[in-house]
Amino acid sequence: MNATVVPVVASASWPESDVDTITPVTGFVLSTFNPLVAEVAARCLAGQQPGARTAIVLASATGDRTSADAVAEAVASGTRVAPLLFFQSNPNAVLGHVAARWGLTGPVVCTSPTGDPMADALACAELLFAAGEADAALVITVELADDRGGTDRADAVLVTARERA
Amino acid sequence: MADRRVLIAAAAARTAFGDHARLLAEGFAGVPAFAPVTRFSTAGRRTQHAATLPGSPSLVDELVRVVDQVYPGDRASVPLLLAAHADASNRALAEEVAARTGVRDVPRVYTGACVAATSAVADAATMIATGQADRVLVAAGYLVEPSTFALFDAGRALARDGRVRPFSAGRQGMLLGDGVAAVLLTAESARPVARLVGWARSGDAYHVCKPRPDGTGLARAIRGAVDRAGVSTTDIDYVNANGTGTGFNDAAEVAALRLAGLDRVPVSSTKSVHGHALEASGLVELVVTALAMRAGRLPVNSGFLGADPDCAVELVVDGPRRARVGYALTVNSAFGGANTALLLEAA
Repeated sequence: MNATVVPVVASASWPESDVDTITPVTGFVLSTFNPLVAEVAARCLAGQQPGARTAIVLASATGDRTSADAVAEAVASGTRVAPLLFFQSNPNAVLGHVAARWGLTGPVVCTSPTGDPMADALACAELLFAAGEADAALVITVELADDRGGTDRADAVLVTARERA
Repeated sequence: MADRRVLIAAAAARTAFGDHARLLAEGFAGVPAFAPVTRFSTAGRRTQHAATLPGSPSLVDELVRVVDQVYPGDRASVPLLLAAHADASNRALAEEVAARTGVRDVPRVYTGACVAATSAVADAATMIATGQADRVLVAAGYLVEPSTFALFDAGRALARDGRVRPFSAGRQGMLLGDGVAAVLLTAESARPVARLVGWARSGDAYHVCKPRPDGTGLARAIRGAVDRAGVSTTDIDYVNANGTGTGFNDAAEVAALRLAGLDRVPVSSTKSVHGHALEASGLVELVVTALAMRAGRLPVNSGFLGADPDCAVELVVDGPRRARVGYALTVNSAFGGANTALLLEAA
């Protein structure tokens, strides 16, 4: 069961520049959260051949606030909730898209970390490796811009397990 | 060094039945707790039903309550893994629960929908097994609220007839239910509730919200848990199923159970009585499974109207079944094709 995270195999970020763009993902609406996850996953895995036993860990301290706020506003005003929002009502959904596209059949883990999101997400990957549940992990962090401004931000790293001697 | 054993030293669950007594007496007998929601308006929704505790309880209060129940001692050296709905205020939730329970820390809140809590249990088990911790608390909570009710209504996921009928002909979907639960996992316990001997997670790599119809993803998680325990699926005496009462979900789950060789093992989904507690559902059902082992009594798969040929498993439908349970499995699946399997051994 002993294993440890080895140095990063690949990494990606969004934005890469002030004019960076995000590719829309069919079926996901309104919020940039899910397209951002798919975007950094695709950038990180480009040129890689991740094995089937690759897990996906998604960490976001604040989650998809855009979608959550839209639902709350619709409920408060008594208007109809868009059915597509049901399908993006939790962060697992877009990981189904990523997993299907890349053939990743390892565990799917989503968290709201209370400390540094990437450090905690890597700790989750280490637990998966320690348990022998995955050989590699695509680790993603996403935070949307808040009301005070700033910008959306997403990072992804591909890490692998290495058995200790 | 061999992995250390993982024990469930204590377990507690709160559902619409309250604490364990009514759950065992009424819920296990198949009496559903669904009723029209009074906590908020359901005007304009396709259903008005859910399984809720009285009034409008506070999630933090309920989480603190179950943590107190499973480990009333000094928690200053014990980490707590929480599971709850993905929310911008989860950090504040974790901080408040940590402050009121005095745990060492809450490193994260697991938010992965219907496998959030079981994923937390798997990580806690790994922490115990590898010697990273001697005790780990896991707690999870979901209390029915208007936004999720509206979302699931918009997605046409809720049963219009006010009943959840897992694996049954004529099933219409799921209903939400309050669920708050906690377990204390330890390496040592004089009188454990059960041993957690197997745990595994897998992904379907299939769709954003639909399960892989052939069940191969969930079957892989089941095999992983069974292999970790060093037993066979023929050793399993009871399966607490995910069983949401949704057409294609139930059929895919049955495909997985049959692939794993569990088609002749007694199966029930207790979501049929306490509803779907979303991120907390897996922990509620782990506690239910442990209660079934301890009581030697398998809960009814309530709401059954008749056989569905796509759901050919050995359902517990006539009444709670007396059984000696040496090993019991609880499985969960979620959006994104995420699957978990937890295997208990009688202590």
